[in-house]
Parts: sequence; C-alpha cells; structure tokens
Amino acid sequence: MVSRMKNNIKNIISVGLALSMAAVIATTAYASEPYVSYNYDAWGDAIPSQSGYRVDETITGYEMELNKLADPKSNLFINEEEPTNLSNASDIFYEESTNEFWIADSGNNRILRTDSDLKVIGCYKGVSNSKTAVDEQTGLSTFSNPTGVYVSIDSKMKKPILYIADNKNARVVKAEIESKTDAKCLHEYTKPDSELYSNSSETFNPSKILADSSGILYVVVSSVTTGAVVFDETGEFTGFYGANRVEQTAAVIRQAIWRKFASNEQIASMARNVPVEYANFDIDSEGFIYTVTEAANASTDAVKKLNPAGENIWNTATGNEFTFGDLPEAASVDTSSFTSRLTDIVVGADGIINILDYETGRIFQYTQDNDLLFIFGSKNSTSDQRGTFTAPNGIESVGKKIYVIDGKKNDITIFIETTFGKYVHEAAALYEKGLYEQAIDPWNEVIKRDGGYALAYYGLGKAYLNTGDYEKAMENFKVSVSKGSYDRAYEYERDDFLRGNFTVIIVTLIIIIIAIIVLRKLIKKGKIKMPKIKKKPQKEGK
Amino acid sequence: MYEFTQLGWLKHVIFHPVEGYDDLRWKKKGSMKIAMVIVLLLFIAMVVKRQLTGFQFNDSYVKIFNIVPLFVQSIVYFFTWVIANWALCTLFNGEGTIKRICIYSAYALTPYVVGTFLSVFVSNFIVRDEIVWMNVIYYVGLGWSVVLMIQAIRTVHQYSFPKTLLSIVFTLLAMLVILFLLVLLISLFQQVYVFIASIYTELTYRFRG
Repeated sequence: MVSRMKNNIKNIISVGLALSMAAVIATTAYASEPYVSYNYDAWGDAIPSQSGYRVDETITGYEMELNKLADPKSNLFINEEEPTNLSNASDIFYEESTNEFWIADSGNNRILRTDSDLKVIGCYKGVSNSKTAVDEQTGLSTFSNPTGVYVSIDSKMKKPILYIADNKNARVVKAEIESKTDAKCLHEYTKPDSELYSNSSETFNPSKILADSSGILYVVVSSVTTGAVVFDETGEFTGFYGANRVEQTAAVIRQAIWRKFASNEQIASMARNVPVEYANFDIDSEGFIYTVTEAANASTDAVKKLNPAGENIWNTATGNEFTFGDLPEAASVDTSSFTSRLTDIVVGADGIINILDYETGRIFQYTQDNDLLFIFGSKNSTSDQRGTFTAPNGIESVGKKIYVIDGKKNDITIFIETTFGKYVHEAAALYEKGLYEQAIDPWNEVIKRDGGYALAYYGLGKAYLNTGDYEKAMENFKVSVSKGSYDRAYEYERDDFLRGNFTVIIVTLIIIIIAIIVLRKLIKKGKIKMPKIKKKPQKEGK
Repeated sequence: MYEFTQLGWLKHVIFHPVEGYDDLRWKKKGSMKIAMVIVLLLFIAMVVKRQLTGFQFNDSYVKIFNIVPLFVQSIVYFFTWVIANWALCTLFNGEGTIKRICIYSAYALTPYVVGTFLSVFVSNFIVRDEIVWMNVIYYVGLGWSVVLMIQAIRTVHQYSFPKTLLSIVFTLLAMLVILFLLVLLISLFQQVYVFIASIYTELTYRFRG
C-alpha cells in the first residue's frame, strides 16, 4: 500500500510537471510529425514510440527543376510541351558510385536522372539504336510506361549501364548513356521463346528489374507466379528465380484434400493454387536479393532473403517466425487500418531493411534479425498534409535519408534520421557486428529518449551477459521481455552462485541432516519431548 | 478404528485414496471450515501461479491483472460443481448431502493446490532445460486430485465405479448448463437495470427541465 501511495504521489507530480512542460512548449514553435510513431512490444501490442525519422523535405517537379526540360535556353531542353511535373512515378533508384538518382516517371514515359539533391541532370524519353516503337520525329525508340529502372556500373567500360523495364512495350532495355538526353540501346530483352516461359505466362510486361554484379538480369513480371524471370549476361532466358510458396489458407488445404478423392476431370475443373508473385526486390552489397510480396496481409513469404541459388535463407525455424509489416491484431495506435500491402523493399547500409506499405503508407525498418527499429510515414487522411502519401510506389535509402516516391501526389518525400534514430542505428550496427559492450553507450542514449524501447534493453542485456554481469543482464532482459535470453543469464547467475557458495551450501546441508538424525534419535530415546498441540484433545472430544 | 484431529483426517484421506473417504464417511468426519480454507487456497494458488511463476516460464499477459476470471475459474467453478453434482445425484440415488459433497470435493483438491504452490516455487529456481521438474510436480498434483475426486464422488453417493464416472461427466454438463443460465440471468438483469437507470435519468431531466 505504501508503495502504491508513493506511486500515486509520483504520478501526480509527473502529471503536474508534464502539464507545466506542455505549457512551456506550447509557447514555442513546435512541429510534430504528420504520423503516429509506434512500435510493437513483446505481446504484439502497438505502443507509442519516438520517431526515428522526420520529414525533411518534399520535392516536386518544381524543386527538381523539371522546367529545364521545357526551357529552350537550357541544355536539357527536349521539347516545349515536356511536362514539368512527375506523373505516376513508380520507381526511384540510387546509384552509389556516381551519386545520382534515377526515377521512372511512368506517366510521362520518361526516365529522369538527377543529382544527389534531386535536381534533374538528364532525361531519357527513349533509346537510339532500336526498332521497337520508334517515334517518327525524333527517331528514338520511345518508352511506354517505364515502371522500373536500374543502373549498374559496367566493370569493363566504367560506364553506367541503364536497365529500363519498359512495361507496355513488353521489353527490358539495356542501354549505354551517351549524353544527358540520349542513350544507346545495347540489348533488348523481350518475351522469351522458350516453352518453359510460355507455360507460365502469355505476356511479358516487366514491372521491376534488377541486375547483379555479373550482369545477370532479374525481371519481375506481374503475370508470372513462378518467380523472377532471369536472363544471363548474354541476354538469354535461363529460367525463373525464387518463387513464392502457396499460402496455407483453409481453402488451399481443403482443396488439397479434395484432390485426393477427385477424378481427373474434376481436378481439371478446379482452380489451380498458384503462389502470389512478388512485387518488388532489392539486392544488397553481398548479392542477396530481398523480395517483397504485395498481396494484402501476406504471411507466407511476405519478405524473403534469397541467396544466388534462389533459396530463401530465412526459411528456417527462426526465420519462419519473422513478421513484417503491421501485425493484424494490433494494427496501429490510431486503430485506423488493418491491412498491410508491402510494395517495395530497400536494403540500406548495415543491412537495415526498409519496407514500404502501400496501404497505410508506413515504412517499417528492420535489422537483419527482424528486430523492428521504426515505423514511420503515413497515408494522408483528409488533407494533403506534407510528408504523407497517397500512392507510395517506391522507396530508396541513402545514408541517413529515406526517399519515398508518390505516384499520385507526384512528389518525393525525404525522411531524415532524428537524433534518436541516429543512436538506435549506431547501437544496432554495433550490436549486429557483435560489439555488444561498445553498444552500451548508444543504447543508454536511446533509453534516455524512449524508455519503452525494448530493443535497447535487449541490447544492454546482451552486453552485460557478455561482460559477465548476469544480474544486470537479467534485469534488462526482464524489461525487454526476452525470456530465452533471461533464462540463459539466470542459468549463468545460478551457476556462479552455486560455485561461489559451494562449501557454505554443503556444510549447511550436512549440519541440517546431522541435526535431524540426532533429534530423531533423542526423541526416540525420550530425552526430548515433542511439544504437544493443545487443540488435539479438544477436537477429539467432539 | 481411527482417531484423528480434523487436519489428521485430511491427511488420512489424501494419503489413502482407496479407503480414506470410506473411513471419513463411516466416522462422519470432515470439517466445513477446512474445506472452505482449501477452496480459498485454490483461488490463491491460481493468483500465485499467474503472478509469481518464474519470469522465464510465465506466459501470462502481465500488463493487466484481472482477478475476476481467476475467481470464476476457482471459487465459482467449485461451487457450481458442488451444486451440479448434488442436483444431479440426488435424482440418481446418490446418498450425498450438499455439505458432504462440498467437504469431500474440497478435500480432493488439496494435492492440486499443493502441487501448484510447489511448482510455482520451484519455477523460480530452475532454468528452461529443467522445466520437467516443474511440470512433474504440477501434473502429479493434478492427477492425484483427479483420483481423489473420483473417490470422493464414489464414496459420498455410494456409487459403483462406472456410475461415478458417468455422474462426473453429467455433472460437468450440468455445470455448463448452470453457468449458461447464470450468464443469461446476469445479462437479463443488466438489461433491466439499464432500463430502470435510463427511466431514472429521463425523469431527472424532466424534473430539472
């Protein structure tokens, strides 16, 4: 009761302090993020959390200086009617070595090339040296709804090689950059002639593309459910890569049972259970490919990490426990949405995975161990508030910044890491490398800013476990509700205790045993009388 | 034959599952006070199990502590069991009075209560690899209680063994019916209460207005 009283007093004081603080803050200019920052606790409940990212800038065609494209005096001049805004932009890609962004401006049928500040430095309406969809005026083979762009540096020529998923023209263009507005087609990947391909799809409308360091091209085609279409460096179709599995829903299981009893004719008339194709992918510096599946609330293979052989390396006991996106039972703090449609994935520095949810406009940031770092971003609700999305199509991560491209608001939102985010990333990076002790300071900084950030306590626990301070480790694991790790810390602590006090324990045990034996003998001999319970005769008399 | 204190009788019953209850019945012993203490301890054991099980074994949602489900699962269930069994077995030549059913059933719960307390205690000193110790204590207590409960019902009504089992199954069904009716009754009364409360509110508004 006393402690409760104390707590009450504490509460009153803290509420009073908070109110007075609020009064102080209210007088100063205060900009909050246009979204609720939250995280999930050990029970899967959404709890408010500090923001790891804040909206830095929103960039539209005006800030990108797209008017240069329609300005005859500019060196980027294409044509006076060239649109000066983005339209249904669907992909953004950052090329590290040249420090440039590439944007697939699908609605305007062009690829934009910008510098690191997103100022336009190039625009490609089509490619030369190709006979597909040639424009009569310019002689270029024009793009039609280019939905994906990828750039890699050719190791021999030291030149950027441009890959474009030219969706409506049913081709992927590999081009060499000639000038700011001109690119020369090197190869066109079209629908493979192979029977293997035509078995799985009639059409070839590439949506996203990716090339690995050896020049192998991976193409996501939305009508193909058997994985990404793979072309080798010579442009030959070689097969499919990393198909999703069929999600085990009740309907699928029921059908699998029916199939056992059905006749061949009945089986032929049944709908086939095909997996959902993945929507997008990204490749990390080590050559692992991360895929993301856009089906609403996909649980099987929502996010995969594929090795070069196309096997999901997260398909393990721990990996199958990984969750991505909002948890269905505790969707959000403001209880507005319950679906997740993960549309894009990008792997940043230190292997940090950013996943973009199209449905809620949220970005989920994970470490390689599937520890959720931050949830940020939001769809706009009523107003066109800055920093919210309508149709978030693509995400890119560069250093401290996260870029999200919106296909309906036609802008790019730049998120920048907050101080809190900086400490979390610093600590998580050290933790990932196994430098648990060095991560203690940044984790403490994290806790100073958000006392409910469970991962920080877990990190501290790991550090103390490593240094042998088991008691502190147990304390921290308890706060972060990591039972397995707590158990380990407790085991070591108990071993230490037993080892340290072995003689004392044994001696006490022996003394107790001897005392019991001696007492028994004495009682038997009648030298000591057992004290009698007084109630005994009374009750017996009843 | 036997002469024990009331606690001594409890001990005798627990450690002599075969003839313990027969002796108890023959001697017309058994204390209602002790029985009630055991039921209360059962309730406390449930709370303790939820709150004090070692951290690494405790899977309960500790953010909220709601005592009502625990109360229902121990005390309410026990008395429903007693009433259902009495109501049923008086119709089928059972010889037990409600007082005896209550006492005998409560006595049978003792190993479970003790097992729960012990397993909670042990859980604070073991690691996950040794979880079997905790489980053994808990399930031995539970099994022992089940055996005693069957004996208690058999003795109190002077049934044959198969009839006892049958009566237990039907008692469980009767419990369901009773609880269902209780819930129904409560919700109906709630509606009546809401109705009266709203009339009252309306009247107060009228008089004020």
